[in-house]
Amino acid sequence: MYVYDTIDKSLLNQRVAEFRDQVRRRLDGELTEDQFKPLRLMNGLYLQLHAYMLRVAIPYGALSSDQMRKLAYIAETYDRGYGHFTTRQNIQYNWIELSTAPDLLFDLSEIDLHAIQTSGNCIRNVTADPYAGAAADEVDDARVWSEIIRQWSTFHPEFSYLPRKFKFAVTGADADRAAIKFHDIGLKIIRSDTGELGFEVYVGGGQGRTPIVAPLINSFLPAKDLLRYLDAVLRIYNLHGRRDNIYKARIKILVKSLGVDSFTSQVDAEFERLDPALFVVEADEINRIRDMFSVPYLQADEDVKARLEERIEESPQMRRWSDSNTHAHKTPGYAIVTISLKPIGGIPGDATAEQMYAIADLADRFSLGEVRVTYTQNLVLPHVHQADLFVLWSELKRLDLATPNIGLATDIIACPGLDYCSLANARSIPISQRISERFSDLESQHDIGPLDIRISGCINACGHHHAGHIGILGVDKRGEERYQLTLGGQGNGESAVGKIVGPGFDEDGIVDAVETVISTYLSVRSTGELFSQTLERTGHAPFKERLYDSN
Amino acid sequence: MTVINIRGENVDQTWRDVEVAEETRSLDSVILSFASLKEHIETLDQKSLSRIGVRLTVNDEIGEIADHARHIGLIDLVFPNFKDGRPFSTAVTVRRDYGFSGDLRASGDILPDQALFLARCGFSTIVVPVQFPVKQFKTSLGAYTIAYQAAVDSNVSQVRDLRRSAVEVVAE
Repeated sequence: MYVYDTIDKSLLNQRVAEFRDQVRRRLDGELTEDQFKPLRLMNGLYLQLHAYMLRVAIPYGALSSDQMRKLAYIAETYDRGYGHFTTRQNIQYNWIELSTAPDLLFDLSEIDLHAIQTSGNCIRNVTADPYAGAAADEVDDARVWSEIIRQWSTFHPEFSYLPRKFKFAVTGADADRAAIKFHDIGLKIIRSDTGELGFEVYVGGGQGRTPIVAPLINSFLPAKDLLRYLDAVLRIYNLHGRRDNIYKARIKILVKSLGVDSFTSQVDAEFERLDPALFVVEADEINRIRDMFSVPYLQADEDVKARLEERIEESPQMRRWSDSNTHAHKTPGYAIVTISLKPIGGIPGDATAEQMYAIADLADRFSLGEVRVTYTQNLVLPHVHQADLFVLWSELKRLDLATPNIGLATDIIACPGLDYCSLANARSIPISQRISERFSDLESQHDIGPLDIRISGCINACGHHHAGHIGILGVDKRGEERYQLTLGGQGNGESAVGKIVGPGFDEDGIVDAVETVISTYLSVRSTGELFSQTLERTGHAPFKERLYDSN
Repeated sequence: MTVINIRGENVDQTWRDVEVAEETRSLDSVILSFASLKEHIETLDQKSLSRIGVRLTVNDEIGEIADHARHIGLIDLVFPNFKDGRPFSTAVTVRRDYGFSGDLRASGDILPDQALFLARCGFSTIVVPVQFPVKQFKTSLGAYTIAYQAAVDSNVSQVRDLRRSAVEVVAE
């Protein structure tokens, strides 16, 4: 884990002091709400429907057990005993008072946590592969480069008042578990033919009103040029991104309007103008960061798998969980375990303070004190010895955290929606809860197979509905909540934007419609064919027919 | 009008605004609009240029006078509102690409909380909006003592410099 040194800490302390002064000036009337707004947003503080919401940054989704305990403490001290893990690997608290927010940030700072740049038109918290450092398919640890980007982008003097928000995602693995092509900049760590470390650079992806899969603008950016290149991209965007229309202000619109080639050549020209010396990250510094992420040597254990199999034979329940909630670790004998925050009928991504304390303890016992947050709103214990899986599973079950549904129909992504959010047109959480209950039968979930259902309460698409196999978008139609259905999106591994099937549904109708889509898939799929494969083969036609021609 | 430097100190005002320049002979310590400067620029020698200021809105392209920019006495970049961050990038470009070493001034709708970022991007003076006390700008300029990234005010990451010297101290 990256641990702040005295220099990182002094900067964080200065931020806490600065924010305390800004809140005081707002409460004293020295700042108007309009002036205060961008300042509080850059500290993650939103004004929502019922109260202030604070979004705490979890850089690249990685937490230590002590940090998790602090998040639990915040939930019970400043909120109503729970927190909400988000699609950007952050955590949100929904019931915050402005006057105590500075104290909250001080408490967080004691354990190297903060809310810096979790909102506002600036470079947001960097997200990354939640399996970084543990996955078998990785070229390099995405957290190392994410931390370098975090430092470069923190309090960036030039890029803190951009046309719109700016999101990075980084993966060092072959399989994309960070949806990098749906970000303003997506970076994939690769090695060249000669073994040099570098990046594929994707720019201008995003969801929202205009969903776009980011085009590749650089197929090999040497690692030494990373910050220089990012600086060039950001400067072109800051100078030329649209500022007259909030819906056209993201970099994806600039890339699209200039064309990929023209945009890329502008970036290249700016890159050439920049003095490389300004952007050097010394090898010592990279190694310092890398060392902090390295874990103690894990002894490969080839025999444990057989012993685990025996144990699993005795428990079909455990088998189901092991099938869906564990993933191959780079060291034989270890597993990456996903803790489901999607209990049947629950609120996706919510965790209580008690659960967070318990997960921190489990991380200490079984996973070298590490926890990760996934953008699909679950948690991960990245380094679990397979010999510990049975005990871990039993403990998680006791905490209602062992739902064996990762990647399945009830592993639903949902934004907070109209229950909390002032931007929403419709509720997301109750829809997700009802779909979850409808497909609660675990056997049938496992039979349906991998299926991403994603729900957004408005076109801002925080629930990633564009990238769901089945996407649901809440809209307001003459004061009524309606739900549009999209099919064919992909956000896991592959990236694709789903298409609207037909007219929308009401609250009851959308739940039935999801069931219709799934039963159609089950009746038309070939043996072994996944939902996304069937859809690709058949197109929308059979689904549309069943959805709309039933009368 | 209060103008401060990046240490938060008041600066004497010698520059005055001129809407339209009638003739160039009397142009001394005046700030022209970009259009007006462009009109006269070919007739001005380096010495006269150094006594002239120019005010740029976010729609003016400084690149149009790229060859002359470094000889100008003062460049004033106007923030149309504090959320529009273009002048930060223009400032960096003016300092780094055009080699401008004169007074780079920030004016318009600016928050005190942006003062340090202005200084880091190469601005040398700030026109303080009437609704804010000067001391708030001074506070903001001192809110952070070091920075992670290089900028116009520092060619290196001060954070990484400090880390290296800390390592050297330990090594000794």
